Amino acid sequence: MSFWTDIPSLSRADLRDLKKGIDASFREFSKNYGEGIEAFFDPLYFFLVKLEKLLIAAPWPIILILVGGLAYLGSRSWKLALGSMLAFVVIGYFGMWKDMMATISLISVATIMCIAVGIPIGILMSRYNRVQSAITPILDLMQTIPIFVYLLPVVMLLGIGRVPGLIAVCVYAVPPVIRLTNLGIRLVDKETLEAADAFGSNYRQKLFSVQLPLALPNIFAGVNQTIMMALAMVVIASMIGVKGLGMPVLQSIQNQYLTLGLMNGLAIVALAIIFDRVSQKYGQRLQAHRYGADHE
Amino acid sequence: MKKVIFSTIAAAAVTLSGQAFAACGSISMADMNWPSATLMANVDRIILEEGYGCEVEMVAGATTTTFASMDAKGKPDVAPELWTNAMAVALGVAMDEGRLHSARKMPIQDLGEGWWVPDYVLAKNPDLKTVLDILERPDLFPAKEDPSKGEFIGCPAGWGCQLSNINLFRAFEMEKKGWILVDPGSQAGLDASMAKAVERGDNWFGYYWSPTEPVGRYNMKLMDFGVPFAGSDNWDGCVALAEQECDDPKPSSWTVSMVHTIVTDNFKTNAPAEAMDYFSKRIYPGPVMGQMLVYMGDNQADGSDAAIEFLQSHEDVWTTWVSADVAAKVKASL
Repeated sequence: MSFWTDIPSLSRADLRDLKKGIDASFREFSKNYGEGIEAFFDPLYFFLVKLEKLLIAAPWPIILILVGGLAYLGSRSWKLALGSMLAFVVIGYFGMWKDMMATISLISVATIMCIAVGIPIGILMSRYNRVQSAITPILDLMQTIPIFVYLLPVVMLLGIGRVPGLIAVCVYAVPPVIRLTNLGIRLVDKETLEAADAFGSNYRQKLFSVQLPLALPNIFAGVNQTIMMALAMVVIASMIGVKGLGMPVLQSIQNQYLTLGLMNGLAIVALAIIFDRVSQKYGQRLQAHRYGADHE
Repeated sequence: MKKVIFSTIAAAAVTLSGQAFAACGSISMADMNWPSATLMANVDRIILEEGYGCEVEMVAGATTTTFASMDAKGKPDVAPELWTNAMAVALGVAMDEGRLHSARKMPIQDLGEGWWVPDYVLAKNPDLKTVLDILERPDLFPAKEDPSKGEFIGCPAGWGCQLSNINLFRAFEMEKKGWILVDPGSQAGLDASMAKAVERGDNWFGYYWSPTEPVGRYNMKLMDFGVPFAGSDNWDGCVALAEQECDDPKPSSWTVSMVHTIVTDNFKTNAPAEAMDYFSKRIYPGPVMGQMLVYMGDNQADGSDAAIEFLQSHEDVWTTWVSADVAAKVKASL
């Protein structure tokens, strides 16, 4: 009665050959196309290196003014701008300035890339139900698959360092912005769209003047989540040789350097809070007209 | 070659002297949780069982736990591959007091940590004899970030070897010579960087250790540092410590990792003398061990499958460890 107790399975040899075959063909692929794929990402790589070097080389007061300025422009809140500058000073004071600059360059590029890729995909998903049903399972996969499963193949193709790190971060961080763009557009009132139709607007006009503006709160929630998730990936990215705040965290985990781990961990948290608050405030300001406030 | 001839003669001499096996009885063998050790344990098991009539029980274990148990309880009887740097003092005491014995020092050739390059780098650049020669040629290992510099792949963040690599990087003044030290972040990153370079035929220079599957798979060569070991004061008191606790590291070869086949006093006194003799001759050549680890990885073979594969495909190696008589018995059992 072994049928009932043992689930039918491939024989050990077949299973082994299957795994070996897939491994070997991936190696072959990496050997033949790896260099080309790497060259394709080279501009991105050099942009990342340049940005990081620029941020590290720039005099710290300029970075501080920039941070404060951007925070104020985003949030129109003096409190937030001063708080961000103070956080940067403290992080620098504790010797984490360089690592923080490396992390910021990675996170900003990752966020820009995620938004640039994510919003168009979200729009497509909202327009065509088929695209939505094809992409949703891919997003599920991206959010749940254990990171090392795809990290190693990516490293085999692209080597260790920033670009594979960036890809790993984006794979994990891009789903929220896609999902929420799609959701936001789909939640726009049917009547509003009917009115737009009645005025004879074409698809483009409807999208840019009606759907996207009305979906902004959701899209911004997505962008915000994307930034948060990108920051959460900093430590994982360090596991494939990305410089930044994650590296000391790894080191401290292995060696029980409690303080080192805590300091760098808190620096990541501080960055996350700054990015979060500023982007949220910015999103709220864009929506201020909804609440009847007299605004610009 | 000399070694092979010598051990063949020795094996012949043992055979000629004619041997009567004493009953071996039951012994326990530590089956450690990494591939080379479990392979060795299983080879030992088959040879002791089939060749010397022992009854061998395998006991799973890890380095520190196995040593503690052997030291305190005298069980298991044999640890085929015990890395003893971490327990050098306690092992010394146990050996002085006669509780434990080393049946074989360094049972695998080329084992230990150090700086490695793929074999084709040496074939293409025959003038690279030592690490010192490599350090003069950063142009052979261009870094992606800055191709004018050489790239040295260090040890993953947080490992003990990370500190040693950072300090040796300083000691050899590698920054001045045009090198950058790359932290691969994890063992996965380190392995993948090596795999990627070798699959494409690129040069690679970095830290690794042996016996390991990548070393066997990619024919990595351990480089001689070209400088002697600069003393344990320099190593333990500086190179192995954090950067800020090591002001003036001196260039040095890597500290030697001591590996022994350790047996208990019980085994030494009760097992047949031929079994001890077997252990004393049992040295796995580095490339053979490398091939076996690749075999184990490719076929997802466990220790006992791999041991049979080893006994079948590397007869020339192991038959020199035992008498012709024992070799015949083991062969018959396969």
